[in-house]
Amino acid sequence: MRYKFAPIMKRMAVKNISIFVTEKGLKEAKDELEYSKKVKRAEVTARIQQAREFGDVTENSEYDAAMDEQALMENRIVELEKILKSAKVISVSSTKSDFVIIGSTVAVEMDGEIDEFTIVGRVEADPSKKRISNESPLGQALLGAKTGESVEVTTPIVRYRCKVLEIK
Amino acid sequence: MDSNKKPILEFKPKLPALTPKEKKVLNLLVQAAKLIVPIYLQQENRKFPGSNFYPHDITKEEIERAATNNPEILSPYTVVERKSGKLVAIPYHIKYAKLLKPVAQKILEAAKITQNKEFAKRLDFQARALLQGNYDEAAIYWMSMKPYLFNFLIGPVERYEDRLFFIKTSYQSWVGVMDRKDTARFNKYKPVILGSRRKVMMPSEKVDYYDKVQGRIDNAVIYTGRLARTLPIGINLPNDPNLMEKYGSEISVFNQMNQIRVRDEILPIFNKIFSPEFKKTFSNTDLEKGNLYVVILHELAHTYLRYRNSERNLKDLFPIIDELSASVMGIKVCGSLLLKDIMTTKQLESLMLAFMSRCFYLVLEDSKNLSRIHYIIGGSIFLNFLLESGALKESGGLSWPNFTKMFMSLDELASILERMLYQGTREDAEAFINKYGNIEELQRFSR
Repeated sequence: MRYKFAPIMKRMAVKNISIFVTEKGLKEAKDELEYSKKVKRAEVTARIQQAREFGDVTENSEYDAAMDEQALMENRIVELEKILKSAKVISVSSTKSDFVIIGSTVAVEMDGEIDEFTIVGRVEADPSKKRISNESPLGQALLGAKTGESVEVTTPIVRYRCKVLEIK
Repeated sequence: MDSNKKPILEFKPKLPALTPKEKKVLNLLVQAAKLIVPIYLQQENRKFPGSNFYPHDITKEEIERAATNNPEILSPYTVVERKSGKLVAIPYHIKYAKLLKPVAQKILEAAKITQNKEFAKRLDFQARALLQGNYDEAAIYWMSMKPYLFNFLIGPVERYEDRLFFIKTSYQSWVGVMDRKDTARFNKYKPVILGSRRKVMMPSEKVDYYDKVQGRIDNAVIYTGRLARTLPIGINLPNDPNLMEKYGSEISVFNQMNQIRVRDEILPIFNKIFSPEFKKTFSNTDLEKGNLYVVILHELAHTYLRYRNSERNLKDLFPIIDELSASVMGIKVCGSLLLKDIMTTKQLESLMLAFMSRCFYLVLEDSKNLSRIHYIIGGSIFLNFLLESGALKESGGLSWPNFTKMFMSLDELASILERMLYQGTREDAEAFINKYGNIEELQRFSR
């Protein structure tokens, strides 16, 4: 996650960009912030203390891991606070759209393979749950595309044609 | 590693706090790992393509003829000897019985001490495999158990030392301790990476075990035997596709070995090959992370590429095609990761550079290392393919990569190699290697 938010924060700082988020995503972000501040902070502090008790911290990988976790968690708290300040809540329609919008689950064919994922705001993106950011090259290329339409997805290195098979 | 050196490499990793019993178990496994070195040294012989697995004066044809009547001649776990003018196959556990006994004793001692019941059982299986030759049983149990803090393998595993047939296994060992944080991260992204490639070129030939792949990042404590010669960063076992299909596989990646390889091999050649302006745009950390991704993706890509009959069809050339194919396919799947914002352009460039630098190292600095010959030939195929496509340009002896062309080239090379794995013959592989595997022409880059 630490890799994921740094570029967003930079872009936000420069362009004052809003971050799209669903009501569900907004609630998740708020819950995570609250949990991090009220529970996780205390847990990590306790882990650091426990690791110190194992002895020489220079030879103790658990101490290093706990310190790393503390740094990551504090960065994440700062990021969540900034994200929540810039969040723009979007409503996800329960009716099926004719074209791809944030919240659409799409089946696509790309590089000879069929893939399916949901396009979400950046904050909610989670590849392990098949949620792709609207700001990703693929998300950007697909927004507004209709079923049967082919779009070109390009980055400085990779170029693919992507065909929308179904919008769910 | 110099082949005159003893094949033992010990690491001093930072480990989590261990209980006294865990410390004892770890120590016993390290001792057992060291004890297999004399067996490996009996197998190793750089002068003969069949090492010491077969009589030195024998021909391939003679072995193949003998194997039609006695399949054990071409078993991965036998030594072939001439007795009274006839070829006989002696199982490893009999041939090396005296040397194996103390190894098994150490492992059994560790089994009695560990407080993890599953691990105790695994230790027991492995000790019995060494003494009785039932290696599959040990591998099956290993694949079925939950990941545990310690991981190890002590026994005959890799086949690269048999350059005649790619069948006989060499003794090797590693002992590792799990890095829980990195392992959790690896396993979070594993399904994303495996899920980004579903196309199967010939489904009837494909060994499908996507859901049974376990992955872990370990801190290595020791490498011995064959592993201490080749110094791999990632290991994906078992090797038998039938076992993989039924029971899955386990990928182990070793953090410190990556740091060593980047320090000793990749950075020096990167600094030598590329122009100063270009070098400035990539840090050492970029290359270290890039190389780690290359290894992880390489091991995961093996999962996409396991076709039932590849080994039988490509014979001794199988490992060259298989290993290169996994590296190239691993990088190719990054295309999909990049488009979904799971990977950045810089990360993709870094891993392509790390792999390219590794290929240059193998071809220019390590070309006489027979332990790595399959990777050296694979590296030269990759570089020659890039040069032919124009992805790599020379300017005053230095090269400047065009990443877009390189990715297109990789895409094409991945398709050629995968096709060879599912339907190619040894002759196809040989023709391809003859066309692109020329090391000599690449020597100009060392100037």
